Amino acid sequence: MHSTRQIYTFVIGMTVIVALILAGLSTVLKPIHLTNEAVFNKKAILSAVLPGAKDLTDEQVEEQFKTVEQMVLDYKGAIKTKDEVKKLRNFKDKEGKAEDLDLSKEKKRNEKDRLYPLYKFVTDKNETLFITAVRGSGLWDEIWGYIAIKDDFNTIYGTSFDHKAETPGLGAEIKDNPTFPNSFKGKQLYNKDGEFVSVLVKKGGADKTDKNAVDGISGATVTCDGVTDMLKKGLQYYMPYFDTLKK
Amino acid sequence: MAETAIQEKEPLFSSKERKLLTDPLSTNNPVTVQVLGICSALAVTTLFYKALVMSVAVVFVCAFANLITSLIRAHIPKQVRMIVQLVIIATLVTIVELVLKALNYPIYKELSVFIGLIITNCIIMGRLEAFALSNKPWRSFLDGIGNGLGYGFILLVVAFFREIFGKGTLFAGSPAELKLIGKSIPSENIEYMINTAATSGWESWFSWYANNNLMVLPASAMFVIGIVIWVQRSWNKDLVDIS
Amino acid sequence: MDFINLFLKAAFVENMVLAYFLGMCSYLAVSKTIKTAFGLGLAVIFVLAITMPVNWIINEWLLADTGIFGTDLTFLRFILFIAVIASMVQLVEMIVEKFSPSLYNSLGIFLPLITVNCAILGGSLFMVSREYNLGDSIAFGLGSGFGWFLAIIAIAAIREKIRYSNVPPALRGLGMAFILTGLMGIAFMALMGIKLD
Repeated sequence: MHSTRQIYTFVIGMTVIVALILAGLSTVLKPIHLTNEAVFNKKAILSAVLPGAKDLTDEQVEEQFKTVEQMVLDYKGAIKTKDEVKKLRNFKDKEGKAEDLDLSKEKKRNEKDRLYPLYKFVTDKNETLFITAVRGSGLWDEIWGYIAIKDDFNTIYGTSFDHKAETPGLGAEIKDNPTFPNSFKGKQLYNKDGEFVSVLVKKGGADKTDKNAVDGISGATVTCDGVTDMLKKGLQYYMPYFDTLKK
Repeated sequence: MAETAIQEKEPLFSSKERKLLTDPLSTNNPVTVQVLGICSALAVTTLFYKALVMSVAVVFVCAFANLITSLIRAHIPKQVRMIVQLVIIATLVTIVELVLKALNYPIYKELSVFIGLIITNCIIMGRLEAFALSNKPWRSFLDGIGNGLGYGFILLVVAFFREIFGKGTLFAGSPAELKLIGKSIPSENIEYMINTAATSGWESWFSWYANNNLMVLPASAMFVIGIVIWVQRSWNKDLVDIS
Repeated sequence: MDFINLFLKAAFVENMVLAYFLGMCSYLAVSKTIKTAFGLGLAVIFVLAITMPVNWIINEWLLADTGIFGTDLTFLRFILFIAVIASMVQLVEMIVEKFSPSLYNSLGIFLPLITVNCAILGGSLFMVSREYNLGDSIAFGLGSGFGWFLAIIAIAAIREKIRYSNVPPALRGLGMAFILTGLMGIAFMALMGIKLD
């Protein structure tokens, strides 16, 4: 039988050993985790403009991302400098670039306090694209996406979506089934009268000629409504900046 | 896969030790016979690759938890036995999580909380209680591998059927993605998309297949396991539930 | 009002067993009769409701980089959570034994089983990944416990009845329980997407 003292020694000894092993491992691997996370996010951003981005290696992603120009906007469309961003968000070891913003935290802020990241990408065909970031709620949890807009500030070039916990086979199709993000290609944010209407994800299927709507996913009405809502609310804050560029 | 590995090593084991590895694969399967460890398994079987990563993680945790427990079994105080076992398991699971996060971030994201739930996978806890506490390290290690494989085997069978019939693919999410049945997804940017639509050969025989979304839903895992149990028990009448 | 919504959501819409398939082992093993299922269900509600807020406090105050240690200790999360659960289960066992021996006798043997019930740890991990606050986590704990309770009572009732049906011998017992759970899961999908605000 073990005495109380032996039990305490055993428990304390084990705790110390375990804590040391884990602390060591976590410190060693932390830099790799951070790079992985950054590459993962950059891949998502690039997926909106390069359909093959999923299969790029980490180095290719970094290489490709170097050509991307990053901007941070406020809700009025004014550009914030890196130092301003750093000050506003209390960044210590981050530079204050668009990629440094934690978008799920931004979403929780008041719309007027939010910062909006914007990426400018030039394709090999010399088209200038603006990649915007949007974030909203699906059925279970958050959904988010990157929307690439052509330099007429109206036509969508490409999109990529992701989600935290949508149902596999239903809501999760926004990410898993390439047909959904692809269906946004060529859709327009303004209607014929020049009004900002964003793109509607329509239950039961959209008219092929409708420039402002795409087909919904059957069985995933709430997720699709979430996408519609996310696009409308998210994209409108980029419009003031685009308006200044149009002039 | 598992069978060949065992055959190669055969001279190293006596028949008793070989049984430790093979029993959990059939007559004493942790999932279909012992009803252990079903919880965390079902959510990861939508894709074969996800199930494969999960299986490897469980085999690792199960084998080393058994080994470590068996090595220190004489020193573990009876009163805090459960917590000691849980700490060993939790440590191994945390190691798996940290390593996976460094090696393959996308799959880590996909598996999310289910890696953590390996801790409460009753197979591991159950094997520690039933085997490792009263057996020598080497045998406990084999028992852990055997049970991990038995669990992984069911996971892979379920994932195989769910992915093929639900998505028409195999190994989706890994670099070696295969399109087996059904139409490939039309892409406007063919230049970036590997065109997988087969026009000749055996793949074209199944191009009429439309993906069955029911197989992607979590509930279908229950049906598939139910059928696996049905098949297994029709084969092996000893396992039939009499009550 | 938010708390009631979260409670109902956790109990019905996001049912631990039927929507996430967590806590399956004991759910399948202890659902042969309603009486035992009832006892285990109660114990799960109890443990979930206690461990959630405790784990929330540990996560926010000790582990997060805004906590008292000021560094990111989240790699210790699994160990601390499971230790809390194991010790809470033991504590609950002792309290129940002291104050209500009759309840202890009906629950007793199921209590230790709860430690390895994935619904408990799963609940705590969901709480972290969904960033609940303290009030939310209590409501979520109670709700998911209640949902688990409902699910195990339901399957136990069906299993008691199905004994009189002509099920193929190889499918009897466990096999049938799996398929029934799948069907119940699909039925529960009808509740998906109900917004309670």
